[in-house]
Amino acid sequence: MKRVVSIAALLVTCTAGPMVAQRRGGGPGPVNPFLGNEQAVREGESLYGQHCTTCHAPGGGGGEIGPAIVSGDRADIGVNDGQTFNTIKNGVPGTRMPPQRLTDEEIWKITTYIHSLRGTAFDNPMPGDVAHGEEVFWGKGQCGTCHMLGGKGGLTAPDLTNIASMRKSSTISAALTKGQHHEYASGGAHLPALPPDGRYLPVHVTTADGKTVDGVLLNEDSYSIQMIGNDNQLHLFERGRLRRIVVDPKSLMPTDYDKRLTAAEFKDLLAFLTRQGTVAPPSPRRGGPPPVEQ
Amino acid sequence: MLEKRVVLFALLVVALGSRFGAQVRTPDEMLVNPDPKDWLTYGGAYNSQRYSPLKQVTAANASRLQAKWVYHVDGLGGLEPTPIVMNGVMYISGFNRVDAIDARSGNVIWKYQRQPPSATRQRGTAVYGDKVYVMTSDGHIVALDARTGGVRWDVKSQAPYEISGGAPMVADGKLIVSGNRPGGFVQAYDAETGKYIWTWSAMPKPDDPAYKTWGGAKPQGAPIWISGSYDPELGLLYYGTGQPNPQWTGQGREGDNLYSDSIVAIDVKTGTLKWHFQNTPHDVHDWDSMEVSVLVDLPFRGQPRKLLLHANRNGFYYVFDRRNGQFLLGTPFIDKLDWATGLTPEGRPILTPGHEPSVRGTTTCPSTAGATNWPPPSYSPETHYFYVVVHEGCGVNTITSSTDPDSDTGYFESASDPWQQYVRAIDAVTGKRVWEYKAVRSNHYGPGLLSTAGGIVFAPEQFGQVSVLDAKTGQSLWHFNTGDLITAAPVTYSIDGQQFFAIAAGTNVFAFGLGDSR
Repeated sequence: MKRVVSIAALLVTCTAGPMVAQRRGGGPGPVNPFLGNEQAVREGESLYGQHCTTCHAPGGGGGEIGPAIVSGDRADIGVNDGQTFNTIKNGVPGTRMPPQRLTDEEIWKITTYIHSLRGTAFDNPMPGDVAHGEEVFWGKGQCGTCHMLGGKGGLTAPDLTNIASMRKSSTISAALTKGQHHEYASGGAHLPALPPDGRYLPVHVTTADGKTVDGVLLNEDSYSIQMIGNDNQLHLFERGRLRRIVVDPKSLMPTDYDKRLTAAEFKDLLAFLTRQGTVAPPSPRRGGPPPVEQ
Repeated sequence: MLEKRVVLFALLVVALGSRFGAQVRTPDEMLVNPDPKDWLTYGGAYNSQRYSPLKQVTAANASRLQAKWVYHVDGLGGLEPTPIVMNGVMYISGFNRVDAIDARSGNVIWKYQRQPPSATRQRGTAVYGDKVYVMTSDGHIVALDARTGGVRWDVKSQAPYEISGGAPMVADGKLIVSGNRPGGFVQAYDAETGKYIWTWSAMPKPDDPAYKTWGGAKPQGAPIWISGSYDPELGLLYYGTGQPNPQWTGQGREGDNLYSDSIVAIDVKTGTLKWHFQNTPHDVHDWDSMEVSVLVDLPFRGQPRKLLLHANRNGFYYVFDRRNGQFLLGTPFIDKLDWATGLTPEGRPILTPGHEPSVRGTTTCPSTAGATNWPPPSYSPETHYFYVVVHEGCGVNTITSSTDPDSDTGYFESASDPWQQYVRAIDAVTGKRVWEYKAVRSNHYGPGLLSTAGGIVFAPEQFGQVSVLDAKTGQSLWHFNTGDLITAAPVTYSIDGQQFFAIAAGTNVFAFGLGDSR
């Protein structure tokens, strides 16, 4: 149901719902002539800023009238470019989303910009030598010390087997280079969900009987803690039964990969990571040919 | 013949009066002095104290609370409504929609759904006698029969005003609604008939001196998207207005930008402004003043006063005389506040330079998410504490152009001062902090609160926990994980002697009560 609602939120104003979404477009719609055209993306961004941000927030977020056009998950992709084009061109009857008085070319450019916002890394993989990126991942980058990928690697950081299907390329790049890469919605906008804060932060626990457990946090609330220890075992505690809990606010994740790697290594690592994912129909990842850009 | 009828009628009235006695109350009386078994308005009562005299659940027995039922609100998510409870029926509202459920069992009684379904956030409804109200996404107000959901009347609201998601309120026989567009406004309709009565606009007209506070720009913004409070004796409605537009840049709107970011007192009879107080003049951080104002009667520095208590998004806790808006006290209720060094004797912030949003990003504490936000606070007349959900932390505000007032803007969490949420108890008349409860993981917005004569604070947490805290100490007494984000506010009510608590979490409404009662 959540997926249906997310699709419904697409470009429909706050007044629309699932039934409208199912009507909209009426099928696959026309084909985007600017797909993959970087210049069109830039022009579309400018047009979006001029014509769409009265209701929707910059960057595809929810405004005080219009809902978010883009969310962090793949549900966005459930509406194709043709349907987006039709929605912008014709509006959504019965809601506050009006038809836009723009040329078809302008609407396609906005559509292309929205497409670029929506796609995950898997849909827009970054260029580079994928095989070399894999070497960097397991070698100089030491990513596998903490991260698991394809059944290999460590447990003290998120599994990256499907990372390209869950994150945008820009988010993956930011995770390697920026200490803080969570951006929150603009004021007044509502977030359907927040990124899980604090996951995988180093944690040190002392139990009532004096035993110490070190590891990383998987989750916590005001009453409990879930962690994976450096012993690679899950540890589940009630807070009230612990003598001491120390969560280190600084993640173990290095954020200087653009410096500790050469430019080529960094580029190739991104090329590798932005291809780690599965979509329907599943296709072989590593060892096979790189996926065709969609 | 006529005389005989009058006598018969009089006899009937006497008979009914003796049969039903004190239960027969007018809809207005029900709202002015609500029965503790009900939760009739967004704020629980006109004073918005969110305090209940019910005391079956106490600090001593709260550990025996358990879930009584769950109602899944099919098709809606991220629920924000405060459930309204009248005579054992709970009304859960959205735009175009009300679900009426048996508040004892969670069984649905009726559903009203006007097309199309709307996922827009909406925060509660209002009841008046046998009516419950629905705001529609196409600008109508619909009164439903509270027993069946049948449409009693349907009127088009006054264009061009668009009613926002704040819960409506019935005061002085009027249905009071508010909205954001074409600028903040409060509006009144006859609660019985739907007939339009008045509009107060937060956008001053050219003949209003406030118009000159916009540096020649056309007033914009000041949205009003949260329900207000009401003093029936003074006949005044109290609402908060939002930020001036453009939100994060003051370019082109030099001046205080009235009536943005203000607490306004509006005459319920006429819709005229009685007084206003602007918390954040010339705001560039989107610090709306729509946080709920709580009305209490207490001595202040030895003088009995009709007070208005208000914890603002900008980080200051304020106390006013609500008869005239006199500023009595203003003090920070957060530790991380760097945009002002304090308030003048008149309550105006003393600004710290360098907090304008910039292309590079400007760090300011609190963040745009605010020191607190729409989740409403509570006041207990037993402890005289003001309970409020607090966000500590700083934000980085950005603009994409230093010359274009309409350039893209945004904000994000400061890496050096991440956000953390607390429940804090503040002494209502001194503003001093008494205790705090840290809601682990929760970092902004979050749910509202309520307090009871049982000496407890019912305090849900953003990440789904529902906690009961000792009202005197903040100690946690009980908790339950609802499994979804909570951004609504709780209510308490009673049916046949059993006290319930209810809260909307994600896509569900949960009800709790003591395990060993029926």
